[in-house]
Amino acid sequence: MDKRVERFSAPERLTHWLVALCYLYAALSGLALWSRAMWWLAPVTGGGENLRAWHPVAGAVFAVVLAVQFRRWAAQMKIDADDRRWLAASPRYAMHDETGVPESGRFNAGQKMLFWLQSSSAVVLFATGIVLWFPESMPRAARLASILLHPLAAVASMGGIIVHIYMTTIVVQGALHAMTRGYVSQAWARSHHAKWYRQLSDR
Amino acid sequence: MQTVAKLIDTSLCIGCKACEVACQQWNDQEYTLGTFQNTYQTMPDLAPNFWNLIKFRETEIGGAQSWLMTKYQCMHCADAGCIKACPSPGAIVQLGNGIVDFNRDNCIGCGYCITGCPFDVPRLSPKTKKVYKCSLCSDRVAVGLEPACIKTCPTNCLTFGSRTDLQFLAAKRAEELRADGFAGAGVYDGPGVGGTNVLYVLKHAGRPEEYGLPKDPTIPWTVSLWKGPLKWLGNTVFIGGILTALFHFVKFGPKEEHHRG
Amino acid sequence: MTNGWTDVSNADVILVMGGNPAENHPVGFRFVMEARRKRKAKLVVVDPRFNRTAAVADSYTPMRAGTDIAFLGGLIHYAIENKLYHDEYVKLHTNAPFLVKEGFDFAEGYFSGWDGAAKKYDRASWQYETDAQGFAKVDPALEHPRSVFQLMKKHYARYTPDAVANICGCTAEEFRKAAAVICSTGRADRAGTILYALGWTQHSHAVQLIHTAAMLQLMLGNIGMPGGGINAQRGHANIQGSTDMGSWNNLPGYLKIPRANMATLDDYLKANTPKPLRPNSLNYWGNTPKFMVSLLKAYYGKHAAKENGFAYGNIPKPGETENYGWGQFFDKMHKGGIEGFISFGMNPVANGPNTPKMLDALSKLKWMIVVENFETETAAFWNAKKLGGKFYPTFVDPAQIQTEAFLLPAACFAEKDGAFVNSSRWLQWKRAALPPPGDAKPDQEIMSRLFLAVRDLYAKEGGKAPAPLLEMNWDYTNPRNPSLEEVAREVNGREIAGGRQLNGFGELKDDGSTLCGNWIYSGSWTEAGNMMARRGQDDPTGLGIYPNWSWSWPANRRILYNRAAANAQGQGWDPLRTPLRWDGERWRGDVPDYKADAKPADYGAFIMLPEGVAKLFAADLVEGPFPEHYEPVESPVPNPLHTNVSSNPMATVFHGPLDKLGDAKSYPYVAITYRLTEHFHYWTKHVASGSELQSNFFVELPEELASAKGIEGGDIVRVTSARGSVEGPALVTKRIRPLKVAGQTVYQIGIPIHWGFIGRVRGPLVNNLTPSAYDPNSGTPEYKGFLVNLEKA
Repeated sequence: MDKRVERFSAPERLTHWLVALCYLYAALSGLALWSRAMWWLAPVTGGGENLRAWHPVAGAVFAVVLAVQFRRWAAQMKIDADDRRWLAASPRYAMHDETGVPESGRFNAGQKMLFWLQSSSAVVLFATGIVLWFPESMPRAARLASILLHPLAAVASMGGIIVHIYMTTIVVQGALHAMTRGYVSQAWARSHHAKWYRQLSDR
Repeated sequence: MQTVAKLIDTSLCIGCKACEVACQQWNDQEYTLGTFQNTYQTMPDLAPNFWNLIKFRETEIGGAQSWLMTKYQCMHCADAGCIKACPSPGAIVQLGNGIVDFNRDNCIGCGYCITGCPFDVPRLSPKTKKVYKCSLCSDRVAVGLEPACIKTCPTNCLTFGSRTDLQFLAAKRAEELRADGFAGAGVYDGPGVGGTNVLYVLKHAGRPEEYGLPKDPTIPWTVSLWKGPLKWLGNTVFIGGILTALFHFVKFGPKEEHHRG
Repeated sequence: MTNGWTDVSNADVILVMGGNPAENHPVGFRFVMEARRKRKAKLVVVDPRFNRTAAVADSYTPMRAGTDIAFLGGLIHYAIENKLYHDEYVKLHTNAPFLVKEGFDFAEGYFSGWDGAAKKYDRASWQYETDAQGFAKVDPALEHPRSVFQLMKKHYARYTPDAVANICGCTAEEFRKAAAVICSTGRADRAGTILYALGWTQHSHAVQLIHTAAMLQLMLGNIGMPGGGINAQRGHANIQGSTDMGSWNNLPGYLKIPRANMATLDDYLKANTPKPLRPNSLNYWGNTPKFMVSLLKAYYGKHAAKENGFAYGNIPKPGETENYGWGQFFDKMHKGGIEGFISFGMNPVANGPNTPKMLDALSKLKWMIVVENFETETAAFWNAKKLGGKFYPTFVDPAQIQTEAFLLPAACFAEKDGAFVNSSRWLQWKRAALPPPGDAKPDQEIMSRLFLAVRDLYAKEGGKAPAPLLEMNWDYTNPRNPSLEEVAREVNGREIAGGRQLNGFGELKDDGSTLCGNWIYSGSWTEAGNMMARRGQDDPTGLGIYPNWSWSWPANRRILYNRAAANAQGQGWDPLRTPLRWDGERWRGDVPDYKADAKPADYGAFIMLPEGVAKLFAADLVEGPFPEHYEPVESPVPNPLHTNVSSNPMATVFHGPLDKLGDAKSYPYVAITYRLTEHFHYWTKHVASGSELQSNFFVELPEELASAKGIEGGDIVRVTSARGSVEGPALVTKRIRPLKVAGQTVYQIGIPIHWGFIGRVRGPLVNNLTPSAYDPNSGTPEYKGFLVNLEKA
């Protein structure tokens, strides 16, 4: 039996899933607002008036918890030279040909990119979201900008999230388990985050 | 069905505010009190409970002292920015007679219509969280009556009828004004929004902003971009993302753990 | 109005002066707009403010409040000087050819006959030179130096464009431009109308001002013409009716009240039945005995008989020169001379001048009854210290006021039937829209129950003079609440034997066989029914006369003096605008203001006047036969025409401790008060919609004055006069121009009325500021053009 390694602490997991939950609601209700073709999501997310009320609340909670997560992880998300080489080799990574793909630390460069994408789009979503939340007390120019930037940031964010969900649930087996239960096998750690695994072993 | 319209001949408006009261009464609005704003104008702007406002502007045009009084309300655009921006199906509808009407049962109070409107007309009520604006008295028009403002106008500044007839009348009035020495007289009817069902005759048609009307109104480009190209960009990202994942899964499948030295 | 609202659409030029119809008569104003569209009429506005009417006018000329006579006199001068007057009309239809007695003169601000000690005129020298039969002598060529025309020409020779500019504050060029348009109607084929309102009536020289306007219109041949006339826009829906039905100095139908020196009916009729002054004068007032006797029969019924002078003795008679006009009445009250006061639909605390004096006057009463829709400032005057205290520092606490005050709730106009008489003299019958709320009662019920209760007391207890009450005819079906239909039928008049409703005043008799409550309304409810309820929209002449819409006094005539629209042969001056035309046998068109079958040459066109023609020169008014420019009682400059006689020497002014007047040194700015379209008097501040449309009291001032004083729009300013003060936000505007008057800059400020210390919206009463100064002929207060100071509060 392989030894277990802790990958995400309980607070990390709690934060992640809180973010995910808010994101899910904001995304589904947001999709209803985004396009009439998606309006069928409105009853699913509480009905038009409720989703108008809850969407910004979910977004606000999302932003707060995301800020906590950001503080915790930002330092670990710095892009280094290995990451840049990893990114250059990422097409091969995607095709499961890992030759020449540098070893990853706790987070690989793809995850780091996702982190920065989500954090930056969250900033835009939050700022423009406030404007759209209280349109009657906002200047028209801000509303006009927000009405465009808010969905633009959402599209970027959700594009990233599609990749994230696919990668963590299907492509990288065990990743979901890492975020649900908190630990991975040594073999998994060695396989996907070798640099991190070595740091753990050295300690 | 014939497209209906309202003609406002500003050269005949005396700012008596009868239309304001008629609008308030017919729509059972709650009356409020105003704070002093250094003007005769009833309130600074349209409000959720005030859909028809005469704007008073002291100005000089061509060296002549002017005190312009201009009735302001929903323009009932053919290509309505509010409808374009509205996410909730059925909340804003364009009736067969051209009236752009709000169905507040379906309104979710997002306020996108306010941003989508080139004339800055709809107003969100903080109390009911719904958006309000002039309905061109769609309830009266439906039973063959003219809108309340038109019924009450004492100087015949306001006329109600088919859009075609009123376009003709407006052009005629503008011509009369030009013959009367107002060379710049003309009709303001929002070609940028496919034509409005509220037509104005202005003595100085080249300077609508003097009347408090936007010059060359169009649906804001950010709204158009949002509801046009951006939608396609989003669709591409979402559908493309899912399809790519599917393709990847079929071709490559999940990663297998491997051991490196 | 001599003409009527619908007739305004026939005008070629519309002079709006002393009024602001777009603001205050927006519904009638549609006919102004129609004239502009239909006839390309020019709308000329002369006013201290660039107002709502000016906003849609073709030309606007600023002027200083209270200088209208100078402006109009200037127009008369301009018309004569440039030969723009309608010569043929003036010769035929006015007293221009009449010769005035030798000795008539005007010098240094006074007409001949001034008695400096008594401060009044002996009018003997203002009369016509007459022949042996008592007829006035005339010079048809208008060349005699003592002809009215020559005297008038001389009188207004001083009113040159430069003099007008110097007095009024516009430029001479602006005056000339306006004059050219206005006087363009002196031609036979052009008609000009004048619309005026309280901006003309509220001066210490108001009646003379309107006389000047009438003179101008006569000179231009515009009286009697469709699209012409001189047209007063009445403020309340039924104020014309109120005037027609009489006041303290008139009985119904403008019959003069009996005075103490007219002890018998014969004395009265002798004093008030005029004699013709020309052989061709129809002199319709010669029928005064028929009107008076029929009125007495309506008043006293069977108690009015030939033997007792038709109970003429029952009518109260003030002394020969006694005056109960507003100013005198409240002055008497203020001096403790009046015991009780019934205020019916009237709010003197708010709408009388000099509110501090008004409050003091009411506090001297023993009792006061207010009949109103709302609790008004008058009903609550005793609480003014608490409700509006800062403006009434000297007013006493309620505990010190002994006046017993009653407030009776009255039905409002929509809760009653009856007739409104509008500015056009139309009696329009209306029906009640809804029943009065709560205990509110219609006026006639309140009045009747008071009357019956007082009459019962007289019947039981006797008293000094019980007859006027005990003999009063009160045979209504329901004496406690007579139906207005029944009263209207009585007002129209009937044959006493048989009760046949009369067709008109032509059927009135002086033998006691007819009764009539108001002779000018006779014809309004005939055997054919209620003529006031008619709503026929046919217009046979095409001139907007609508003879079958309601009923117009007198005799359903729509254009007064319509005979003057035709020439000596009875044909219209303007063939396209002929209200009345002689077809060889009869007059056709409107109801003729003439004998219907009398030849054109038989009578003069002005049948109500002893002269038979209209009066340019009129000895009827107390301050002179020709209007002269006098400054308001409080004026920023001495009268540039005669500095020693600055304001009207005959103006009614009081000199009590609360009647102070200010001078230009302490109060340098000219103030006017006025109404806004959003409100009706002091009523709509009780109403939600009106209160929303204009919630705030404000003070309008020119931006030049504001910047000199460091005032910005919305800053609170305090306006003070010698009487009192108001405070409110400043509305800084370009629409009131500083004026150059007699070499100095004069600023005018404007203050709308409408607010008070009770109501949904509140603000100071503007009459805290206004002076106790009145026109001597009409008794109307001088609200336009008094002096104030203004500072940032």
